[in-house]
Amino acid sequence: MEKTAAKPGDYVEVHLTKLIYEGILLESPENEKGTVLLKLDSGYNIGFNKKDILKIVLMKKAREKEKGEFEVKKNPEKKNVAMIITGGTIASVLDTKTGGVHPLQKPEDFFRFYPELFEKVNVAKIEIPFMKSSEDMDFKDWQKIAKTTVELLNDNNIQGVIITHGTDTLHYTSSALSFFIKDLNKPVILTYSQRSIDRASSDANLNLQCSALAAISDIAEVSLVGHGTSNDDFCYSMPGTKVRKLHTSRRDAFKVVNDKPFAKIFPDKIERISEWKIRNKNKAKLDAKFEEKVALVKIYPGQNPDILDYYSKKGYKGIVLELTGLGHAPTKKSRNSWTLKLKEIQKKGIVVCATSQCIFGKVDPLVYSNGREILATGVIYLEDMLSETAFVKLGWVLGHEEWKKNKKIVKEKMLENIAGEFNKRLEE
Amino acid sequence: MESEEKIDYEKLGFKSGLEIHQQLDTKKLFCNCPSVLRQDAPDFTIKRKLHAVAGESGEVDVAAKHEAEKEKEFVYEGYDTTCLVELDEMPPYEINQEALKIALQVAIFLNATILPTTQIMRKTVIDGSNTSGFQRTVLIARDGWIITKTGRIGIQSICLEEDAARIIERKKDSSVYRLDRLGIPLIEIATNPDMHEPEQVKEAALYIGKILRSCKIKRGIGTIRQDLNLSIKGEDRIEIKGFQEPSMMVKTINNEIARQLAVLKSGKRIHGEVRNALPDGSTEFLRPMPGADRMYPETDLPLLKISRDLINEVKRTLPELREDLEKDLKKIGLNEEMIKILFKQNKIDDFKELLEIYNEPTLIAKILLVFPKEIAAHEKKSVDEISEILNKEVMVLIAESLKSKKISREQIKQVLEKIVHGEEPEKAIEFKKHEGNVEEEVMKIIKSKPGLSENAYMGLVMKELKGKINGGEAMELIRKLVK
Repeated sequence: MEKTAAKPGDYVEVHLTKLIYEGILLESPENEKGTVLLKLDSGYNIGFNKKDILKIVLMKKAREKEKGEFEVKKNPEKKNVAMIITGGTIASVLDTKTGGVHPLQKPEDFFRFYPELFEKVNVAKIEIPFMKSSEDMDFKDWQKIAKTTVELLNDNNIQGVIITHGTDTLHYTSSALSFFIKDLNKPVILTYSQRSIDRASSDANLNLQCSALAAISDIAEVSLVGHGTSNDDFCYSMPGTKVRKLHTSRRDAFKVVNDKPFAKIFPDKIERISEWKIRNKNKAKLDAKFEEKVALVKIYPGQNPDILDYYSKKGYKGIVLELTGLGHAPTKKSRNSWTLKLKEIQKKGIVVCATSQCIFGKVDPLVYSNGREILATGVIYLEDMLSETAFVKLGWVLGHEEWKKNKKIVKEKMLENIAGEFNKRLEE
Repeated sequence: MESEEKIDYEKLGFKSGLEIHQQLDTKKLFCNCPSVLRQDAPDFTIKRKLHAVAGESGEVDVAAKHEAEKEKEFVYEGYDTTCLVELDEMPPYEINQEALKIALQVAIFLNATILPTTQIMRKTVIDGSNTSGFQRTVLIARDGWIITKTGRIGIQSICLEEDAARIIERKKDSSVYRLDRLGIPLIEIATNPDMHEPEQVKEAALYIGKILRSCKIKRGIGTIRQDLNLSIKGEDRIEIKGFQEPSMMVKTINNEIARQLAVLKSGKRIHGEVRNALPDGSTEFLRPMPGADRMYPETDLPLLKISRDLINEVKRTLPELREDLEKDLKKIGLNEEMIKILFKQNKIDDFKELLEIYNEPTLIAKILLVFPKEIAAHEKKSVDEISEILNKEVMVLIAESLKSKKISREQIKQVLEKIVHGEEPEKAIEFKKHEGNVEEEVMKIIKSKPGLSENAYMGLVMKELKGKINGGEAMELIRKLVK
C-alpha cells in the first residue's frame, strides 16, 4: 500500500486491484493493525487487508470539530453538587468519526450525554483526577479520590459529591472511601454504568438521575447508587462497605450483602429502607493511610500452604484469607495442612484475617473442630465482613503506624465497626 | 384512489428498488435462544426507558429524535426461551454460524461479492422494538445481480441482521413488546433502483423469494417482509414498508404514484420519508427517513472475517434451487403433495440424508411425513410434538435398521409408536425372534399349508400375526410370496 495523506475521519477512495470503495476512513481496532476500516455511505463499516490495497486517495478532509458547541448549563435555582469523574464505561464514548472508544474529556461532554442530570441539580464543579478503568486502579487512586472528595465536602457551596467510576472494582473504592473519610458530613455517591453511554438503553441515565437526588438528600454516607433491578424504575442507595459486584453484565450488578440498602431512590423520590447518618455541620477529615503489603488469597481444595512463604518472603504485613464455608482451610487431617504454616507466618508478625468465599453469611470457626484448629493458630475471623472490604480495611488499619505495632490493637481495630462493615443482625 | 388512466412510468422517471427481509430458520443471531414465537402468557416482564443520544456531530439523528420525543415507557415480555442477551443485560455471543452460512448461500445465489472483512454494526432504533436501543446488522456481500424476464437487476447489498421485538400493545405513554422475536436472524436483500415498472418489481420479488425458499428459512405469515424504495424524477426517495404479498405491489405503487402526483400538483415537493403499506393498497406516514449517522460499530464483538475456506465450504454444500429440486424429487417418484409438504416442513435435508442410507424415496417420505401425522392424529397430539420425539436421530436409526434388515418395512410404524410411547429408540427396534421378520413368518405360514388361495392365507396370517401387520401389508406380502 502506498503512503496516504488521509487520516481517520477523512473521506477517501480505497483502491483495490479491481474495485474502488468510497467512504470515511476509520481508526483500525487495537488488535487489527493490519486492517483498514472504511465507513460506507450506507453507514456500514467494512475492512480491507492492508496488503490488498493499492492506494488510499484522500477525497475530502474531515470537518474540524466546532468548538464550544456544548456548554454546561447552569441551574442556579437548583442545589449545587460536585462530580468526580474517574473513568470506566460511564465516562467513555465511541467516536463515530474514527471508530475508536475514547474517554470523555471535558465537562461539556458530560453535559451532552447526561442532560437529565444537569436538569435535576446544578453541577457546580467537575473534577477529573485521572481517567482509568477501575481494574487499573490501586490504593493510590483511592487516596486521590478521597482527597478530592474531602475538599469538595468541606466546600460550603456543595451539597454532595457524585463519583462516577468503572464497575469492576467500584466496591473496593466505596470501601476505601468509607474508611478514608472521617466525620462525614454530606452524601458521597458512587455510581457507574454497565451499558455504554452512547446507546439509548444506557443504564447511566437512571443511575445518574437517582445519584443526583441522593447527593442532595440528607444521607451523609458513602453509598453506591445503581439499578435496583433490571427495570429502569429505581435505584438502591447501598452502604459502601456492604456492597459487591455480583454479576458481570446486568444493570443491577451491585447488591448489598449481609445488610440492607439505605433507601430506594426513584428519579423523583426517596423511600427509606434502613437508618443512615444525617447530613451535619462536621468538617470532613482525610485519613487515607494505607499499607500496600496486604494480600487477598482465596483457598481452594488441596492448595499447598507454601504460597504463604511467598508473601512472607516478600515482606507482606497482612493477608485476608477467603476460606471455605464457615471459615475452614485444610487442617492436619489433609495432605496439605495449613495449620502449622499459618502459625509460623503469624509468629513472624503477619496479620492473618479470615472471611468466607460463600459471600453471604458470617464466618464461625466454633461450629466444627476444623474451624477451631484454624482459629487456634491466631487467625482473626471477620464475622460477616465482605472479603473485599476486609482487604481494604486491613490495608488501612496496617497503614497506621501507631496501631500496626501492636497485634492486639490491630485485632481490636479489625473487629471494631468503623464504617458499617459489620452487621450484628443478619436477616438473610 | 386507484388511477384510471394508464401511468406513463418512463415519462415520470419512475425508479424503484426492493428490500426484502426474510427470517432464517436457525437459533437467534447473537445468542443461543430458539427462534420460537410464543402465544402463551409471558413468564416475566421488565420496564425500560430509552433516551436519544447526540451523535459525534452533536446532532440527534432525525429519525431517532422523532421516536424519542415520545418519552415512553417500554414493557418487555420475556419467556424461558429468552435470555439476558434479549434483555440487553449481557454482551452478544458471536454471530450464529448457521445463519452466516445461509447468508453466504444467498449471496452466492445472487452473484454478489462477499466481503472478507466486515463489521457488525448497531443501527440506532429507539421506538422500543430493541431493548438495546439499536439493531445489530452486518453487511455480508455487495454488488450482485439477477436476470429476470424484464432484464438485469443489480443487488446492492446482502445483510444479516436481528429481527426486532414484536409489538403487543401500543398505549399513549407506554408500549408493550414481546421478546420472542427479538434476535431472530433476518437476511436483508436490497436491490438497486433498477426497476422502472411496478410489474418488474413484483417479478424481482418473486424471483428472490424463490431463491430464499431453497435455503433454510422460516415459512409462514410474518416471516418475510418486503419494503420498497421508489422515486419519481427529481423528487426524494420514499420507502414503503411491510408488504406481505408481492401481489399487492403493483396496486400500492400505482396508488403511491398517484399520491405523489397529487402532492406535486398542489405545488409542494416530495420529502423522503418512510411509509407503511396498508392491506387496501394505500400507504400512511410512519417516520422520517433514517440517516447513515445512526450506524456505529458493535464494540462488543470483533471484526467478522469471512474466510476463503468458509466460502468454499458453503459453495460445496450449496442447496439446489427449489425448482431444480422439485424436478429431481418428481423424477424419483414423489408426488406433488409430498414434495409440497417436504418443503413446507423444511425436511428436504433430512429426506436427502435418509435417502442416502436407504434408497426408497416413497418409503422415506412416508416415514418422514405420513407416519408422524398418523401417529399424531391417533395420539391426539400436534405433529410438532410428535416430530420432536421422532427427531432426525430416530429417523436415521430407522433407516439404518431398514438397511441392515433389523426391522422390516411393515414394522416401521410399530417402532415409531413404541418410541412415541416412551420406549428407548434402541430398544424399540429390537423384536423378539418370532417378531423378527414378518416376511419370514408369512413365508412360514404359506409353506406350512401350500396351495391355498390368497384370501385363505390372509385369514391365517392375520390370525397368527395380529397386531404386527395390517391387512393391506399382509395382502401385499402374500401376493409377493405366493407366485
